[in-house]
Amino acid sequence: MSSTYAIAIRDFTKRYGSFEAVSNLTLEVEPGSICGLLGPNGSGKTTTFKCLLNLARATFGTMQVEGAPVQPATFEELTYVPERSALYEWLTLADHLEFNRRSYRKYDAKRADELVNLFRLERKKKVGKLSKGQQTAVALILAFSIRPRILVLDEPASGLDPVFQRVVLDLLIEAAAGGATILFSSHQIGQVERAADRVAILKNGKLIVDGTVDSLKGSEKVVEAIFDQMVPEVDGLATDARVRRVERSGRILRAYVKEDSEGIARRLSEYAPKNVAVMDLNLEDIFINAVGGEIPMIRGGE
Amino acid sequence: MAAIFTVDPRSGVPLYLQLIEQVKRAVALGTLGPGEQLPTVKALALDLTINPNTVARAYRDLEHDGVIDTSPGRGSFVRMDGSVGESRRAVDDVARSVLGDAVREAKTLGLARKRAAEIFGEQLDRWFPAGEKE
Repeated sequence: MSSTYAIAIRDFTKRYGSFEAVSNLTLEVEPGSICGLLGPNGSGKTTTFKCLLNLARATFGTMQVEGAPVQPATFEELTYVPERSALYEWLTLADHLEFNRRSYRKYDAKRADELVNLFRLERKKKVGKLSKGQQTAVALILAFSIRPRILVLDEPASGLDPVFQRVVLDLLIEAAAGGATILFSSHQIGQVERAADRVAILKNGKLIVDGTVDSLKGSEKVVEAIFDQMVPEVDGLATDARVRRVERSGRILRAYVKEDSEGIARRLSEYAPKNVAVMDLNLEDIFINAVGGEIPMIRGGE
Repeated sequence: MAAIFTVDPRSGVPLYLQLIEQVKRAVALGTLGPGEQLPTVKALALDLTINPNTVARAYRDLEHDGVIDTSPGRGSFVRMDGSVGESRRAVDDVARSVLGDAVREAKTLGLARKRAAEIFGEQLDRWFPAGEKE
């Protein structure tokens, strides 16, 4: 049992007609870990969640939760918070909580009270009258009050102000410390950088980065060489498998490196630069290097 | 207690390494004394808003390095013996890396070795005034 992944997505492909939304994705999430899924809009994050939860049909591949295909009973232990609210607008928060109490064996009324106070919501207000951020909060209260073993959250902090975004991070961390497994998507790299131990980056439906946040930070570096004169041609650097991208400006050459930064630094040293330095990259740098060019979506925060 | 640790998630340095360095620094400086208890993994994760597995990994490495002892059910404690020496070495490593970066930066700016040494001397005089032997 301990070797079973909490969530296992294997060789998953989803096509809409001739458009391939997700291509051959394999993503396995260890029990008790927090996996952050990053990617530009339209990269396939929501499609993956929907197919994982059987809300849409995968074209190819298998999806398992705790070693079994998703079935109605799975939802006793797994909660999904979709990107767009799936709440009943004409019902109040109190009604939703009552609905939860009747539906879930593990519903924890005390926990629900704490969460309602934490997000400072009124129980008697119709959900349709709440702001987008407050509706997000309602969905999170419902999700966390049943103390699920697995949480799948599609942009759980969208529409929330910075204070409540931090509350969401606290909830994720508290749940993980209690043994829960969390798979969440986000546009806010800072959230993933803090809360996730593992990060997966999708681009155009393909998994382009997958690893623990710490190992990515440890291995992805930028090697900067400064030359006296013009930057020389370094044979095969741009096509080197260890190198993601090469940037030249004036007398400076920067190589964004996936692994073996020391080896790349030694190679550049052979071209007699004035100085060679190996520098750390944070997750945002790693993301931008991986998705390349498509920066606008992550700068806005939402 | 918990306020003695801070980490910077935006840094390119892995969080567990930042945490290890912080703990070793606290032990070397005596902020954390031998036998003193560290926060639980859960408490520290919540306090710093970072992943619990990251804290757990840092604690495992600290135990492996002989800085702390963890006993199931009781918690993690600074080792009574050896931890200070190991932590001093770690502080040396940090200092070496920070000073190394500064010297590299000076070289990149085009400073001659002699001038770099002069500036280094000025800074030593500033922070270790005359009469301070060690």
